[in-house]
Amino acid sequence: MSDAVIRWTTLEERDVLRQGAAVSQPTVGATPASARDETPVDDGGDLRLSRRGFLAASGFTMAGALAACGRAPPVHSAPGAMAPEDVVAGRATWYATTCGGCAAGCGLIVRCRDGRPVKVEGNPRHPVSAGGVCAVGQATLLGLYDSRRLLRPVVDGRDATWKAVDERVRTDLERVRATGGAIRLVTGTVNGPSTSAAVAAFLAAFPTARHVSYDALSASAISDAHRRTHGVRVVPRVFLDRAETILGLDADFLGTWISPVEHTRGWRAGRTLGGAPPRLSHHVQVEAALTLTGSNADRRVRLDAGTEGAFAAHLAARLAKAAGLPAPATPDPLPVEAAAFDSVVAHLWATRGRSVVLCGTNDVDVQACIALANEALGAYGGILDVAAPSLQRTGDDGGFAAFVDELEAGTVSAVIFAGCNPVADAAGGARLTAALPRVAVRIGLAERHDETTAALTVVTPLPHAFEAWDDAEPVRGVVSFTQPLVEPFGEPRSLRACLVAWSGAAMSELDLVRATWRRDVLPRLPAGAAEASSWRTALRDGFVRVDVPRAPARPFDVAAAAAAAPRVRPPGDGWVLACVPSVAMLDGRHAQNPWLQELPDPITKQTWGNAVLLSEVSARRLRVADGDRVRVTGKDGVTATLPALIQPGLGDRTVVLVLGYGRAGTDRFAGVGPAWIEAKPTVVRGGTVGASATPFLRFERGAVVYGGSPVVVERAGGREDVARAQVYDRLDVPKNVAPHGGERRDPVHETTLAAFTKDRRAGHPHAAHSAADLWPAEHRTPGERWRMVVDLTACTGCSACVVSCQAENNIPVVGKDEVFRRRDLAWMRIDRYYADVPGATGEVEVVHQPMLCQHCENAPCETVCPVLATVHNSDGTNGQVYNRCVGTRYCANNCPYKVRRFNWFDYARHDRFADLVLNPDVTVRTRGVMEKCSMCVQRLHEARAEARRLGRPLADGEARTACQQSCPASAIVFGDANDPRSAVARLIAQDARHYRVLEELNVKPSVGYLTKVRNRPADGEGAERHG
Amino acid sequence: MADPIVVAAIPERTMGAAPTTAHPAHEPRDDVRWILGDKGPRDITDDVCRPLGRRPGRGWWAAFLVALAMLGVGVASIGYLFVTGIGVWGLNRTVGWAFDITNFVFWVGIGHAGTLISAILLLFRQKWRTSINRSAEAMTIFAVMCAGIFPLIHMGRPWFGYWVFPYPNTRGPLWVNFRSPLLWDVFAIGTYFTISLVFWFVGLIPDLATLRDRATGLRRRVYAALSLGWSGSARSWKRHETVSLLLAGLATPLVVSVHSVVSFDFATSVLPGWHATIFPPYFVAGAVFSGFGMVLTLMLIARKVMGLEAYITKKHVEMMCKVILAMGAIVAFAYATELFMAWWSGNPYERFAFLNRAFGPTGWTYWVMVGCNVVIPQLLWFRRVRANLAVVFVVTLVINVGMWFERFVIICTTLQRDFLPSSWADFSPTLLDIGTFVGSFGLFFTLFLLFCRLVPMIAMAEVKAVTAHQPKADDGKGGAT
Repeated sequence: MSDAVIRWTTLEERDVLRQGAAVSQPTVGATPASARDETPVDDGGDLRLSRRGFLAASGFTMAGALAACGRAPPVHSAPGAMAPEDVVAGRATWYATTCGGCAAGCGLIVRCRDGRPVKVEGNPRHPVSAGGVCAVGQATLLGLYDSRRLLRPVVDGRDATWKAVDERVRTDLERVRATGGAIRLVTGTVNGPSTSAAVAAFLAAFPTARHVSYDALSASAISDAHRRTHGVRVVPRVFLDRAETILGLDADFLGTWISPVEHTRGWRAGRTLGGAPPRLSHHVQVEAALTLTGSNADRRVRLDAGTEGAFAAHLAARLAKAAGLPAPATPDPLPVEAAAFDSVVAHLWATRGRSVVLCGTNDVDVQACIALANEALGAYGGILDVAAPSLQRTGDDGGFAAFVDELEAGTVSAVIFAGCNPVADAAGGARLTAALPRVAVRIGLAERHDETTAALTVVTPLPHAFEAWDDAEPVRGVVSFTQPLVEPFGEPRSLRACLVAWSGAAMSELDLVRATWRRDVLPRLPAGAAEASSWRTALRDGFVRVDVPRAPARPFDVAAAAAAAPRVRPPGDGWVLACVPSVAMLDGRHAQNPWLQELPDPITKQTWGNAVLLSEVSARRLRVADGDRVRVTGKDGVTATLPALIQPGLGDRTVVLVLGYGRAGTDRFAGVGPAWIEAKPTVVRGGTVGASATPFLRFERGAVVYGGSPVVVERAGGREDVARAQVYDRLDVPKNVAPHGGERRDPVHETTLAAFTKDRRAGHPHAAHSAADLWPAEHRTPGERWRMVVDLTACTGCSACVVSCQAENNIPVVGKDEVFRRRDLAWMRIDRYYADVPGATGEVEVVHQPMLCQHCENAPCETVCPVLATVHNSDGTNGQVYNRCVGTRYCANNCPYKVRRFNWFDYARHDRFADLVLNPDVTVRTRGVMEKCSMCVQRLHEARAEARRLGRPLADGEARTACQQSCPASAIVFGDANDPRSAVARLIAQDARHYRVLEELNVKPSVGYLTKVRNRPADGEGAERHG
Repeated sequence: MADPIVVAAIPERTMGAAPTTAHPAHEPRDDVRWILGDKGPRDITDDVCRPLGRRPGRGWWAAFLVALAMLGVGVASIGYLFVTGIGVWGLNRTVGWAFDITNFVFWVGIGHAGTLISAILLLFRQKWRTSINRSAEAMTIFAVMCAGIFPLIHMGRPWFGYWVFPYPNTRGPLWVNFRSPLLWDVFAIGTYFTISLVFWFVGLIPDLATLRDRATGLRRRVYAALSLGWSGSARSWKRHETVSLLLAGLATPLVVSVHSVVSFDFATSVLPGWHATIFPPYFVAGAVFSGFGMVLTLMLIARKVMGLEAYITKKHVEMMCKVILAMGAIVAFAYATELFMAWWSGNPYERFAFLNRAFGPTGWTYWVMVGCNVVIPQLLWFRRVRANLAVVFVVTLVINVGMWFERFVIICTTLQRDFLPSSWADFSPTLLDIGTFVGSFGLFFTLFLLFCRLVPMIAMAEVKAVTAHQPKADDGKGGAT
């Protein structure tokens, strides 16, 4: 300040100015208390502060104020000069790790920018997932940046230090041990060697402790059935790539059952039409709810909930008889048409050795019947591996039921819940709530507060999978590693570290994992592996394959299997409930994840909530339409009131409730979406997103029953919006407006294997269009010409690509009301169409079609934009220039595929923590701007720049779009069509299945599709139907 | 003082009448008397100027306050829109245009009649136009102003609206897209508005001079400035006539072009229901239809309220009804042609688009359109109906409702169901949609009511030329020759 120049014209003025500046500075900066007490001089003339002086003073004040606002520097910050040698600003680093979304244990490669994970990709070499990631896995990224995560331990509702927690827990457990009270450790599936070791050590340290493991989506009956038949309590690992005939009974193995990505890989491998002869397994699905798997089956047969047991018994009996084995009794009538049943049995039997039955019904007797059927078909040893089984769902319903009984009896003194939320997702959750307060020591390890932690006294934060050291053995013989990708937020600590700290000496997470590695995993590696180098290799790869100790095989216990007596169907004509998980929500563990809440269900297309799904006949019987509120009442008076949604393909006695909704705390999403006068909140304050179906789950015959309970369904009055991303569900146009010859739209070409074998062009409704072209070939593509082909035979509609695209391209969540107003912003959507099956009332066929910007050569959007905000790139793609867009929406109107998305409001996020998920390579769009698929232009440029840096041409497959990368079914092929050897160019040129949607418009899309081929072998009973 | 006409004018000016408007030469009179009563030029001047000199009546104030309130609703709606985003309208990813562009096309259509009446009817020497052309032109200008709002506010980022103008800028090669019909719109509407405004103003000059001569004080100074020093000399009249004729010649193709270009917004797209070559003539006919409807609506009110029964006679109404009938027939024919072409094309998308229009989820709008534009106007075949001004008034209202629905049907039902059924969605308006629509009417009526108070509603100079009054030597009614 002292050297501020004072300009003056007379000496007197100079003196006055100097004085004024000297006086003013301290008073403007910080007024001393004494100065404030003085009466201000009202003669402004005396305080002759020059304009410059004033500006200088206020600038100084501002600088001082801002300096005072700064946060203290973080302890771990390091100067740029000391950055790790492989970290370059602006360049991504990739780390292999393991998905924490569920226990399936898929391998991931996570992209980190500037020290934070920004994108999840599949690890192509991983033995479980082989490069695929599901929607949930993709969305776990957002869970890392959840502002509601628990950051510090909480004791009695107050923040506490780990030291205090450890002391208290040790004291408490010591007291319990001294008094001999029971300690129960409750977890979900635990298959990691290091955590298992820690649990074992803990159980050893506390003799009265027992480990209770349950799965909210239980496969316990499968394990229990195999204990009966094989003598080991395992879930066999399924190799669907070896199967020629697959019968799915109530098992959504492509969507939610045990290990969907792994199953999708296998299922897809059985559907490669490129080879000679073309390979296409025959997949029949028999189920009550219409699942993702059912929607992809070559033939789907509906049955009413609760009759799966009867079907299984009939199936086992028939196949056992055919194989000369003793057959189980079949007290119930066959719940499906005999013709359909005979057909599927005939196919299974004809391809025995290469056929399998997968059943998701959680009933030990049903599973025993299925085991018998599989034994009769010779599936064990080939398609089903019991020796190296799946460890992805090892929970024990019986154990958990016993735990709940114990709790109610008051015989448990200490309970530790780790990474699970049984109050909300387990059968008997309500009983837990009542019984828990009676337990003296109640500890919970959780990522965030939930229904269970509400009843606990000590709650400690668990790390997110991307912050932790961990290991997993999802299938016997594969150990998959998790490494931290980011400095943990807060002070989380894993179950493993907690148990060690509470039972013995504390060790760091890395030391614990590495110690287990040294002790348990290294010896199982091929001989001669050096510890350090193999550890590093394992971390780099994300997994190691280890030896599986081969136990002597026990013969199949036919008698035990044949003795199975599945539950008989509920008598009468009343409603029967089926509770099913959805692809996005699973058991509800990701209910706090807005990406998954807004992900349209692959079948219902519903977002932000669940509904009571009814068949059309049922809806008519109840006189309800979509959106009318319906009350479902089960045993013991449990109810759920939800809007009705008509779901084709259901049995007429069946009502379906989707699990995973109605979670406490989901009213946090009330403010999601824009605020304006007609806006409706995504969820009412104090309410929940959807309603929970968990209260309808019951223990019965040693397992949790998900379907088959009798319920009462009635109109509850009132309406509720069902926010669906797609509201017209069929390719057939409505009958009253259907023109002659235009009754059906044909964006999806379909055919059957028989027709396809005869004519590879089968399914294309008309010959390729070749009219004269008005357009000059004005777009030259001197370098790459990016094109994409989507194989509809492979695509299951699992929606992994949708979330992958959302994460990669910074697509915001818009909220329920906006989805209801058809303003979702998804660049990649999956169009799902129903078609009635001729001659089979109530049966429905489903097709899924991923729809994204088609990057037309003659793009209708490009010509109509008045300001050239959407233009053609020299690589054949259609670019959208956000900062040039004025938002006339003409381009969207003129888009025949309706793939353009508009920012109706400023959907910018206000959660600054969640904003860390944003991909720094992609612009965040503001209000009033059109956006759409860019074919991941940032990834293409990155790949191109890298190739240029290395001085070599871009190789096929180096540039991959986000949707393509994550597709578990490898349904998306992308590449340079100018390179005739690229996979995409070969498909376009050679695969007769290739077609382009709306080709007759001559917009020449860059995205093509391959005809969907269904394998419907003609058999004696059913005439072949042509798609 | 050399010019005898000016000499003749001087004494009258001192009398405070309207001398400068004296027409240099009466055109040959035809048999039809377009003005009732034996009105001399002085009577005409007095009759037309009288409302301007008086304080506004209670009726005017009531109407003005209602109009102002509606305008307020519109301003509030648009303000909220600017602050919040286009999402406050009921649009969605499938229906990207609805009320906004419907209103735009509707108002542009309304804006058709004025220039048609002034220019084309002038070229065709239709005398009866003189009583209505002034207000029709004013209506045109106001309607185009209303229309012009919508392309601006329908933008997602209206503050960048100026990017649609091809002006030299610093963005390198980035310019406007001359292939975009929206850009053509900018030119078409801009040109039309400019020409209409100039034409209207040129026509106003002699009448403004009359007002100048009648007024005192500030009003006089304002009118003096606006009348551009009009002296009423023969040379002035000659030039005025020439300019009018030239402008009429310029405006005539614009009448056809502006709505043709607007129709290109739809016709050049790929959507079934929009992609049709019939659109330009169909839109022009529809525009004239609705424009005449609106002119008639306003004239019927104005003649009553402003006491202009002598100038806007039943004969005028009759003529206008006949034009409406003719245009309505063309519009009905266009509807039929569209349906026929959809069937005859054999294109299933095209066929579907029209079936969906009539029987789809918003099929009722189609039938409102047919009822209002095709069925009801047929009443005008009957002379007794045409003579019953109350019925005519209702019919014109109905036509305007129908024409609004026509645009809504074209825009909305086409967008709601196009190629891929997965994207089909419906549109339902929000309060803000309705508020903006109401606001556009508010603006229109506010401007029109101000117009009634500030400038002569009837082109005095032109009416004088068609009056049946025979000047006598000294009947005190002026009528200089």
